[in-house]
Amino acid sequence: MTEELEQTTLIPQGPSDKEKKYDRQLRLWAASGQAALESANLLLINSGAGTVGIETLKNLVLPGIGKFTIADGAVVQDVDLGVNFFLDESCLGKSRAQCCTELLLELNPEVDGVWNSTVTDATSLQELLNAPETFTMIMYSHPLQPGMLEAIEAYGRQHRTPLIAIHSVGFYSYFRITLPGTFPTVDTHPDQTATTDLRLLSPWPELSEFANEMTKDIDNLDHHDHGHIPMVVILLYYLDIWKKEHGGAYPTSYGEKTEFRQLISKATRRDNPEGGEENFDEAFAAVMQHVTLPSVPSSLKQVFDYEHKDEQDSKSSFWIIAEALKQFYTENQRLPVAGGLPDMKAQSSVYIKLQNIYKDKARQDVNDVLSRVRKISGGENIDLEEVELFCKNARFVKLINNTGEAPPSMEQIIERELSNDEIAAIAGPEMPTSLIPIYLALSVPSQSSVASADEIVTAVCQKAPALEGNERLTQVAQELARAAGGELHNISAVTGGMVAQEVIKIITNQYVPIDNTCVFDGIESRCQVLRL
Amino acid sequence: MLNIWSMKKKQKEAENAEGQAAGGKRKKVTAAQLRVQKDLSELSLGATMKTDFPDPDNILNFILSIEPDEGMYRGGKFTFDFAINQNFPHEPPKVLCREKIYHPNIDLEGKVCLNILREDWKPVLNLNAVIVGLQFLFLEPNASDPLNKEAADDLRSNREGFKRNVRTAMSGGSVKGAPYDRVLK
Amino acid sequence: MEVPRANQTHAGPVYKPRSGGRRISGPIRAVQDSGHVCHTSHRYFLLETETNGGGSGAGGLGCEILKNLAMSKFKDIHVIDMDTIDISNLNRQFLFRKSDVGKFKAEVAAKFVEQRVKGVKITAHNKRIQDFDDEFYKQFQLVICGLDSIEARRWINAMLVSIAEESEDPDGVKPLIDGGTEGFKGQARVIFPSFTSCIECQLDMHAPRAAVPLCTIASIPRQPEHCVEWAHVIAWEQEKPFPKLDKDDPEHVTWIYQKALKRAEEFNIPGITYSLTQGTIKNIIPAIASTNAIIAAACCNEAFKIATTTATCLGFENNYMMYSGNDSIYTYTFKHEKKEDCPVCGREARPLDVDPNMTLQDLLDSFAVRPEAQLKKPSIRAEGKTLYMQVPQSLEEQTRPNLNKSLKDLGLENGQEVVVTDPAFPLEFNFFFRFKAESS
Repeated sequence: MTEELEQTTLIPQGPSDKEKKYDRQLRLWAASGQAALESANLLLINSGAGTVGIETLKNLVLPGIGKFTIADGAVVQDVDLGVNFFLDESCLGKSRAQCCTELLLELNPEVDGVWNSTVTDATSLQELLNAPETFTMIMYSHPLQPGMLEAIEAYGRQHRTPLIAIHSVGFYSYFRITLPGTFPTVDTHPDQTATTDLRLLSPWPELSEFANEMTKDIDNLDHHDHGHIPMVVILLYYLDIWKKEHGGAYPTSYGEKTEFRQLISKATRRDNPEGGEENFDEAFAAVMQHVTLPSVPSSLKQVFDYEHKDEQDSKSSFWIIAEALKQFYTENQRLPVAGGLPDMKAQSSVYIKLQNIYKDKARQDVNDVLSRVRKISGGENIDLEEVELFCKNARFVKLINNTGEAPPSMEQIIERELSNDEIAAIAGPEMPTSLIPIYLALSVPSQSSVASADEIVTAVCQKAPALEGNERLTQVAQELARAAGGELHNISAVTGGMVAQEVIKIITNQYVPIDNTCVFDGIESRCQVLRL
Repeated sequence: MLNIWSMKKKQKEAENAEGQAAGGKRKKVTAAQLRVQKDLSELSLGATMKTDFPDPDNILNFILSIEPDEGMYRGGKFTFDFAINQNFPHEPPKVLCREKIYHPNIDLEGKVCLNILREDWKPVLNLNAVIVGLQFLFLEPNASDPLNKEAADDLRSNREGFKRNVRTAMSGGSVKGAPYDRVLK
Repeated sequence: MEVPRANQTHAGPVYKPRSGGRRISGPIRAVQDSGHVCHTSHRYFLLETETNGGGSGAGGLGCEILKNLAMSKFKDIHVIDMDTIDISNLNRQFLFRKSDVGKFKAEVAAKFVEQRVKGVKITAHNKRIQDFDDEFYKQFQLVICGLDSIEARRWINAMLVSIAEESEDPDGVKPLIDGGTEGFKGQARVIFPSFTSCIECQLDMHAPRAAVPLCTIASIPRQPEHCVEWAHVIAWEQEKPFPKLDKDDPEHVTWIYQKALKRAEEFNIPGITYSLTQGTIKNIIPAIASTNAIIAAACCNEAFKIATTTATCLGFENNYMMYSGNDSIYTYTFKHEKKEDCPVCGREARPLDVDPNMTLQDLLDSFAVRPEAQLKKPSIRAEGKTLYMQVPQSLEEQTRPNLNKSLKDLGLENGQEVVVTDPAFPLEFNFFFRFKAESS
């Protein structure tokens, strides 16, 4: 495939300055993710103490976001200098948006940034949103002026722009992501160990043939050759033997697999200089995880069963490939072979041959899916690479904000969380209690700085009567009253880091974003993610 | 903080109840040194092995000599540098053969292919395990996946010829044009 | 041990909100009003960043930690870092600019934060943490680490445990806050040296670096990494193209890259790139600004809570927070238990009353009749000093002359720590000498 080509034609040369600067992040999201970041245009609508939004932007300017805009009508005061690192004494009396923009821009000359100091209410915000410029994402920090939220949400719906609300007060914070629709991710970066897909129970002819050829005289192989049969071949060989002894059935139950493992163990030679065989040890260790029937994970099933409410949505390349993949699966009763082969003890040439058998099969499957993609309207111009990635990651694709299923009501969520707390109370410290009281207390309308603990509790209970008399809520309210709307720099920095990670995940469409609200408790030092 | 402190103080007072409090520096033995001390005091070297500490106060660096009394390397004296760093036992000791020898699992630079010195090292393993492993290499040289490919091919294809070549190399001769160090006692 | 519970902290020091005070936002100002703040000049805080070259993710924590401490109103901060700024630091180490490349990290960072935040004093040390002794570390109230190696973490941990154990007052217990990141993941932990689970107790939390068998590299490579390791470990040794390998020198990396490429071609192994070569030989860990921000701020939040007592800190109950942002956000905050047999904090040294004029042989004989354990074959060492070892034979011979010398003549001092081992006991014994008034 492409990598082999690259290797022979590449003239050795070091990385460019830009590659050097971004080296540590390119190892995570590659050039494709970086390109997405560099073409993104972010809007931050800042309010309140205003630190958490700036901390978020800092973490996006550094990795090289394309452009940002800060909308903030505030003028820098003494109190700002106490929490916001991107201001200094010379900023006093100037526009906060301007000063923060200028100091943020120092961090990365490749980033473009502008400021708007006229946004003080819903009307002026509307003016900014009416401008021809479109934003990739909008972040806004609470508390907002009346009417602003509606304007932001309307923009999000109209332009299908992801929104992130952020609120940081005292030791607590939360942020909530509003996505314009179901958000699918293919490049989810699953753990390496989870991705191995050896098809031991459904080998294709080329693979079986390779295994048969290597093992046809297995008992007469010398120690060296016997000790270098790849683990995959060992397993295929003994699975065949098992099948013959078990009326064509594979070992599937735990008991059968344990028994099968003994078969491998018995076949291991121990009369050699090493007193054992590494490749047979590898085969033994692989039985439980890899001798399994291929299945469709629930996350992919969600994709297959998804019913489109939005015509526009179904035309995206994701859904076209998903449709083709579903056809492939329905017809073949299996997913495309992923193509990867983990390292295992083997002679170099044997391993490479085996690797190519997996790669070739993966390529065939990709081509099959691609030809189906081509036949679907809108699929004519979809890249081979995109289909390749989808097939490779098929078991790990994920839908966030699945609009196909109705989320539970706030009442149901609170009920669920409270009953979990009852279990937690019995279970002890191992099971943490719900952080939903923090979210509810922070979301009290116009969480004003003068609200007393009692006022916060009353306001929360009005909306969520189930929390009446909840001890945790009382504590949270007291803590919030103590903070009086002020931000603690550390809490805003933690939150700004988490929000930036989410922005990166959404813009690059890599890794898996939260669905959809994250609450942070800086006293207990932990988070909870809730779908609200 | 204060609570835990008062607890600790009581303990200290009990300790200091008799005699004066100790003054001066209480320099602690590092975790690595402590572990090496423990490993060394549990060491059981047979008659075929010896250690040599150029500086007895520095137990992290020493030389191990092996004089096999059986097998194809009988009659030779092979010495290994042991260099243990402060990250021991999180990291394995670094072991290098000091002589240039003809052995499939030891290369001409002295690097040793022994699983527990690299991929299979675990902090629960001790110096004794490493030393036993080294000794084993001289009794059962392993032709599979060698460091010295020529020696391995030789061993696999012609065991008797290999044995002769080992003797030649041990007496300081050349094998296939490459000179080796004399290691005969 | 009495443990402060979370709910008590809510009723803890009440701080008054809303003040128009200069440069102080609500809560912090209030904390100061309550008298719980510790920004007075006799309080010091120490921050360390990475100790050795390579810049694998730690300088990133360092910049963030300095900013956060200064913004939390810590007034006197020291920073130790021997490293200089590399271009690959700029994607996250936000106190550095391109024009700073090559300068000392500690110096540039300290200067930047001092200029930006009024009233903070930051002292930079362009050195290794190991270049300082216990007297130096004793001046601090709290230590925060953004280190890039386990070795350095173990070193500072042992130092602080030792200071805590020797100390005669509570100031000797200097909380150690440690952070680390990898990609979208990280962890923050708080250690109260000698009281709670220490870094040595938690060593199993660090997976050892996966190593490939040397023989695979030498004779049966299958992966591009095997070819890079071959070029790095074997070809370099044989050919020595440059006197000393500098993994940051592009010329050296290119040499390894080309060697690896050739070997890979020989074995038909695809996938060698310059970036992979560099990543493999330097063991590069991906690092991004946002993860550093999360972990550094989580660490500084703990420092703030410890210093101000405004809320329960991690430490006595839960002491470890793991964070992962790969798949949604997941935190796991738990208590890592102290290990009774921890070689660093497990068994505090016990006093041993000795006459400085007694011989080492007398001392060893006395171990045979001690009540807690009758040691038949004791070996004894002090830091950097081998007093007597029963085995191996050569060491026994070398140290035997010590047996007839007095403790004083062996250069042992009042308060000296010694470790005694005996093959019959799986654990070692730690003592410190308490000299009896000299009899003669």
